[in-house]
Amino acid sequence: MELNYQIPRPALIWTLAAVTLVLLPQSIRMPIWISVVALLCVSWRALIHNGKLDYPSRRVRVVVVLFTLIVSLSQIRNIGIGLDSAASLLALGFVFKLIEMRKKRDIYVVISLCFVMSMVAFLYSQSVLTTLYVVLVITVTMAAMIALNRSSSAANHSGTAKLAMKISVQALPLAIVLFIVFPRIAPLWAVPMQTGVNSTGVTDEMSPGDISQLARSAELAFRVQFEDAVELAHEQLYWRGLVLDQFDGVTWRRTRNSSSYSRAASLANSRISYEDRVRTLGESVNYNVILEPTQQPWLFGLHLAEDINDEFFSGRNFELFNDGRITQRLSYDLRSHLQSQTDFLLLSSSRNRNLELPDDVNARSLEFARELRASVSTDREYVNSVLAHFRMNQYFYTLNAPLLGANRIDEFLFDTMAGFCEHYASSFTYLMRAAGIPARVVVGYQGAEMNPYENYLMVYQYNAHAWSEVWFEGEGWVRFDPTGAVSPTRIELGVQEALRDDPAFMEDDLFSAAIFGGVGWLNTMRLRLDAIEYEWNQLVVNYDEEVQLELFEGLLGEVTKQKVIILVATLALILIVTIGFTVINIERRIQRTPINRFYLRACKELAKVNLVRRRGEGPIAFRDRVCAERPEFAEVLTELTGLYVELTYVEKSVSETQKKAELQALKAVYAKLKTEMPVLAGLRRAG
Amino acid sequence: MAFSLREALNKNYQRWMAKNVPRRDEVTLNRKNIFIVPTRNGLLFIFTSGLVFIAAINYAVSLAFALAFLMVSIFILSIFHSFTNLNQLTLSSRSTQDVFCGEEACFRVQLSRSPKRRHESLEINFPNSAAHPTSNSTTSYTDLAARDTVEVGVFTIASKRGEFEAPRLRVLTRFPLGLCRAWSVVDLSLHCLVYPRPVPFSMNQLDSGTSGGIESAIKREGSEDFYGLRDYVPGDSLRQVAWKSVARGQNMQIKQFVDYVDNKIWLDWDMFYGFNLEERLSRLCYCVIQLSKAGNVFGMRIPGSEYPPAIGPDHRKKLLRALARYGAE
Repeated sequence: MELNYQIPRPALIWTLAAVTLVLLPQSIRMPIWISVVALLCVSWRALIHNGKLDYPSRRVRVVVVLFTLIVSLSQIRNIGIGLDSAASLLALGFVFKLIEMRKKRDIYVVISLCFVMSMVAFLYSQSVLTTLYVVLVITVTMAAMIALNRSSSAANHSGTAKLAMKISVQALPLAIVLFIVFPRIAPLWAVPMQTGVNSTGVTDEMSPGDISQLARSAELAFRVQFEDAVELAHEQLYWRGLVLDQFDGVTWRRTRNSSSYSRAASLANSRISYEDRVRTLGESVNYNVILEPTQQPWLFGLHLAEDINDEFFSGRNFELFNDGRITQRLSYDLRSHLQSQTDFLLLSSSRNRNLELPDDVNARSLEFARELRASVSTDREYVNSVLAHFRMNQYFYTLNAPLLGANRIDEFLFDTMAGFCEHYASSFTYLMRAAGIPARVVVGYQGAEMNPYENYLMVYQYNAHAWSEVWFEGEGWVRFDPTGAVSPTRIELGVQEALRDDPAFMEDDLFSAAIFGGVGWLNTMRLRLDAIEYEWNQLVVNYDEEVQLELFEGLLGEVTKQKVIILVATLALILIVTIGFTVINIERRIQRTPINRFYLRACKELAKVNLVRRRGEGPIAFRDRVCAERPEFAEVLTELTGLYVELTYVEKSVSETQKKAELQALKAVYAKLKTEMPVLAGLRRAG
Repeated sequence: MAFSLREALNKNYQRWMAKNVPRRDEVTLNRKNIFIVPTRNGLLFIFTSGLVFIAAINYAVSLAFALAFLMVSIFILSIFHSFTNLNQLTLSSRSTQDVFCGEEACFRVQLSRSPKRRHESLEINFPNSAAHPTSNSTTSYTDLAARDTVEVGVFTIASKRGEFEAPRLRVLTRFPLGLCRAWSVVDLSLHCLVYPRPVPFSMNQLDSGTSGGIESAIKREGSEDFYGLRDYVPGDSLRQVAWKSVARGQNMQIKQFVDYVDNKIWLDWDMFYGFNLEERLSRLCYCVIQLSKAGNVFGMRIPGSEYPPAIGPDHRKKLLRALARYGAE
C-alpha cells in the first residue's frame, strides 16, 4: 500500500517542469529574491529525489513559515494588499509545498496551484502569447498527472506527453462551447486590482525628456478602429490625453484637486453645465479604442470625445477618465466631434491658472514675448508670428536634446534650439502666457499606423506627443502644435519619417527597430501578428455579458432564462456525448458480412431449442458443448462451424470463386439446419 | 442509529450486488458494470476550477473563464478516459492452489484485452465487505500496455478452514489523470480449499500414542540396515557411495540404509483426545505434513472415513483435503 502513495520519478520530473514553467512569467513581476527562493526550492526537491538531500526537518519548516509570515506582512506594508503581493505569496507557498511534497496527494495540491497560477497569469495579460503559454503549462501539468497515475512499466516521457496533448486537444472544443454559451455573471464584489507594474505611456506630469523617453519605446499604446471606414489624415490624429496647466519652470502638471481622479470630484467641479461649454460643428466620428493596460486612469481619444456607453467620466478640461486604474486591456467606444469649440467663457480662476508663470526665471523669453506681442495687433497674429519664429529659425527636431539649466525656456529658445515636442510645446505655451494669452500643454499621442490586414490603426508609445491649446476670445480653446512648425514631417507622416536618421529613436528595442525599419517581411509579419492580436482581443478577450447577450439575441430572438438554459444544456450535452463517443472508442459491432450473418442466424435457430451461445464463447467451444449436450445437432453444427471457422479465421490464399463456393456451402448448411430443426427437436422429444 | 443505517445500506448493497453481479468464469467489463466516481484529488480539482471561475467573475477576466471551463472539460474527459481504461477488459479465473489456514491464498486471474485497446494502471484486489470485513487483501498492480493477456495473482488471507469462497474481485483504475476512480466488481467464483492450520507439537508423544494401530513394520530412512541402492545425487555423502559397483564400471550409486520401525503409523482421531474439533484437525494436519516430509508410510482414520497407509504427494493431498472438508458435509 505504502508504495502506491509514493511519487514516481517521471511524475516528479513533469511536476518540477510544470512548476518552473508556471513561475517563469511570474518571475518577471515578482521581487527577484522570490525567484531565487523558487529556484532553490525546485533544486532542493530535485536533490531530495536524487537522495542528496533530505526533506526539510520540522525546525526548517517552522523557520520557513515564520519567514513567509514576516515577508507577507512587510509586503502588505510596502505595496499594499494587491494582486502583486498575493501572487508572490502564492508563489512562495507553492514552492515551499514543493520541498515537502512526499505523497501523491501533495502533488495534487501543487498541481491545483499550477492552475491557480495560470489564472493569475491571465490577470496580468490576456494576449495570444500568454494564452498559448498557459495552454503549454496546462499540458505539462496534465503530463505530470498522467505520469503520476501511470505504472512505471508503461511509462515513457513521449507517451505521457502525447496523451496529455491528446486530452488537451479533446478538452478544447467543450471548453470553447462553454466559453461561448455559459452565462456570464457580473462581478460579485468589486476587487481593487492593484499591481505594482510600472505605469506606461503618457503621464499627468511632463518633465523634460519624458516624452522623448517614450519615443524610444516601440510598445503598443492602443489600437483604434473607426466605424464606417472613416479615414482621417495623419495630421488630424491628435489623441488627446491630459491637459497640463501648471508650470513650475521645469515640469508641467495637471492641477490636482483633493481627490484627483474620481467621478465625484469631477462632478463637483463642473459649475457650468457641459452643454453651455461646448459647441459642436460638423460631422462626428465613432470609433472603438482598445487601450493596453497603462496602470493609470486616463483614456485617449480625438478631441472632443464623448463616451458613447457612458462608462467613463469627463474631467474639467474634457479629458476622459476610467473609474480606477486600467490594469487590463480596455476597450471603449467614443464619438468625437472633430470640429468643436469649448469654453467661450473662461472663469477668472481658470484664466489665472492658464496665465500663471514661475517668477524670476526666463527673463529673456518674457522680454521676447512682450516685444513680439507689442509688434502685432491681435492674439492670433501673435500666435502666428511665434510659429513663424520656430519655422524661420534654425530649430532642430531631435530626441537627443541638450541638457538645460535653470532658465530652461530661455536656453532652449535662444541657445540650444534643439529639442523634442515637449520642448516646443513647453516653450510655445510659455510664450503665450508671457504675452497674456491663456494657454496650456496637452499630452497624448499623435499619428498612427494603419494595419492593412484588419483595417485598424495602431498607436505606439513612440507616437507620444505634446502640443498646446490657446484660448481666444470668442473661439475658446484652439489647438496649436509648434512641433509642426519645426518638423512638418512629424505631423504629416509620423515620427518614424521625422526621426528616420535619429539613432536614438526606438533605441530601447533594437529588434523592433529592425522590424519597423526596412526589413520588409519582418514588417509584414509584425502587422500580421498584430492583426491576430487585435482579432483575438475583439473576439475573445472582450467577450463579456453584453457581447454574449447580443449573440444570444441574434440566435434566439428575445432572450429568456429558459431559452438560455435549454441552449446551454443542449449544446453541452451534444458535445459531451460526441466527445464521449470519440474517446471511448466503442467496439465495432460484429460486421454483418454474409458469413457472419448465416452463422449468427444458425445460432438464433439453435437458441430456440435452448442452445444459447454464451458471451465470449467461441464457435468451436460452442460446437463442443452442443455435441456433448445435444448430440442430435452434432452433425449439422460441426459442418456449419467448420465452414464458418475456415471462412473467417483461416488465413489462406484461396481464390474468390472458391470462397464463393464455400459461402454457398455455408448457406446450404444453414438451410438444412433450418429445415431439419423441427425434426431434430422432435427427435429429442420422442427420445 | 447511524450504525444500523449503515448496516441497512450495506445489506441493500449486498443484495444489489448479488442481483447485478452474476457469477461467471469470464467477465468482460462494459458500461453496465463499470462505476465511476471522482477521487478526492478530483474534488480538489473541481474546487480549484470553482476558485478560478469566481476569480474570473470578480476580475472580469475573459480568459480566466476560459481556463475554468477548460478545467471542467478536462475533468469530464478524465471520466471518459477512466471508463475507456476499463471498458472491454476481460477477466477470467485460473485454477487456484489449496492453502493452509492463516496463509495467503493466491487466486490467479487472467486479464485480456481486445487488440486495439490499452489498459493501464489496474489495481486488483478483494475489497473489504460485510461478508469479509477484514479480508486483508493486498492489491496487485498490472497493466495491459504491451501484452494482450496478463495473469496476476490476487492474495487474501484464508482465515477459515474449509471451502473458501473469495469475495468479489474489484478491478480499479485512476488512470489517466487520477481525478476519477473507475472500478468494477466481478464475481469470478474464485474459490479454493483451506487446510487446517498446522499446529506444531512434539512428535515423540505420537509414537507412544500409536501403539494401538501397529500392523506391520515400516521403514524410515536411517543408518542401521541396508535397504537398497539408488542413483547418486550431487550432495549425497561420499561415505554411502557403493564404491564396489563404481569399480565395476557402473554408475555411482548410493547405499541406502533404513531403520526398521516396528510399526505402521496410523493417525487416529482419538490420538488427540481432549482437544476440540479444530485443534484436533490442526494437529492431524501437522502430523500429515511432518510424516510426509519424513517419507513415512501412514494412514489416517477420522470419523466417517479411513485412509489406508500410503506414501507420496497425492496421498498427502488426499488426507489434507479430507481434513479441510471435515465436518462440511
